Amino acid sequence: MIKRNFFSVLRDDPTKRLLLNCAVTVGSVLLCLLVLPTRLPGMELAGIGPNWLLIWVVTWSVKRSMLQGAIAGLVLGLIQDGMTANAPTHVFSLMLAGILTARLRKERYLQEDFISVALIAFGMAVVAETVTAIQYSIRGDRSLIDIWTYHQLIALSSAILSSLWAPILYFPLNRWWQRMSALEQ
Amino acid sequence: MYILRRWWDRHRLQIVLVSLALGGALLLRQTQGTALFEVYQLLTRPFQGNPEKEALLINAQVVELQQRLTEMESQNQRLKELLGYVSKGAKDGITAPVVGRSADHWWQHMILGRGSQDGVKVGYIAMAPGGVVGRVVNVTPNTSRVLLLSDPSSQVGVTVSRSRYMGYIRGKSSNRAVMEFFDKVPDVRRGDVVTTSALSQLFPAGLPIGRIESVDLSKSPAPEAVVELSTPMSSLEWAVIYPHTQSLPPADASLSEPL
Repeated sequence: MIKRNFFSVLRDDPTKRLLLNCAVTVGSVLLCLLVLPTRLPGMELAGIGPNWLLIWVVTWSVKRSMLQGAIAGLVLGLIQDGMTANAPTHVFSLMLAGILTARLRKERYLQEDFISVALIAFGMAVVAETVTAIQYSIRGDRSLIDIWTYHQLIALSSAILSSLWAPILYFPLNRWWQRMSALEQ
Repeated sequence: MYILRRWWDRHRLQIVLVSLALGGALLLRQTQGTALFEVYQLLTRPFQGNPEKEALLINAQVVELQQRLTEMESQNQRLKELLGYVSKGAKDGITAPVVGRSADHWWQHMILGRGSQDGVKVGYIAMAPGGVVGRVVNVTPNTSRVLLLSDPSSQVGVTVSRSRYMGYIRGKSSNRAVMEFFDKVPDVRRGDVVTTSALSQLFPAGLPIGRIESVDLSKSPAPEAVVELSTPMSSLEWAVIYPHTQSLPPADASLSEPL
């Protein structure tokens, strides 16, 4: 009963709907940002955890346009720069992940949601870490051998963990956004 | 004009939202994520224990004491030769829990649960059972971010305790660091203790760092050695922050990082 009331209020009042939608979106980003510095048992592999911001960008971009994916990557990249260090920047890697995910048009190739999101997250994690490694190579303050051996370790662990944890973020958020867009029409 | 107006009416909401998001992100970036780390500290506080009651990592502490002893013995001989040496006296440290790790895999950071409200400042050094851990690079009211010695961008001037040969170490991302010597043929062997050198501006001299694990004297341009850091960086739960002011300002920041 309460649930029905809740959604009927949302259907009748676009302003409330927009506010709540924004709150849920911002809240999920905040949650990802706060999980980022933790290394919970079972969530790390060789000291490396899942790339939560990448998972969020993938979740956001799967059913959106390339521009929206790029903007999400830009915003989260800037925040992550603030949390670590801004050279090399995370903006490029997350923007590229957003654009590529939106570009995939996955319904043409993959049907099953669970598998496809995990696969996309895996691929994007590798792409994102490669972009960072290229930035390090261009800066030239570390030896190339060091960068690329470390890149192998990071890219693989981060890709495995991100793909495994991606559905946990994807399912609730995707359901929410679907419901919101259904109410919109 | 009319077209512009219609376009604005249609996209007003998106533009406002996007600029809000971008503005917020820029703000967080410029403030180094201060608000985020404060919220993080607030949320993780119930899960942090009490530093005084925690059992320390005894094994690592014994190793640290041994290393300190080697360093002291070596230093003692030199000090006896110096007249008028005045001891500065030990400074009190700030005990801080480790509340988080780096928010990115390429950086080796550690987030400690004490900040500027407890008197922590940028440039202070963090010690743990086992020796030096790193240097505070960013401070918020209740947290501070430490750049670990194992980070490839952190370079520290070090000396081999036994023979006083100098060099610097560069982090290698795990519990290892690579030491590059300034001399062509240094007297160094496996198991030697490595401590911070007097030439280091970012760290006080004589703090234990680790042991030599292997030596490669044929390396060009300078001989190299792999140093095993004596602190178990990945399992640390506590660290002690000690005040440290740089002895000399970096001569020319654009030339190179101070060691």
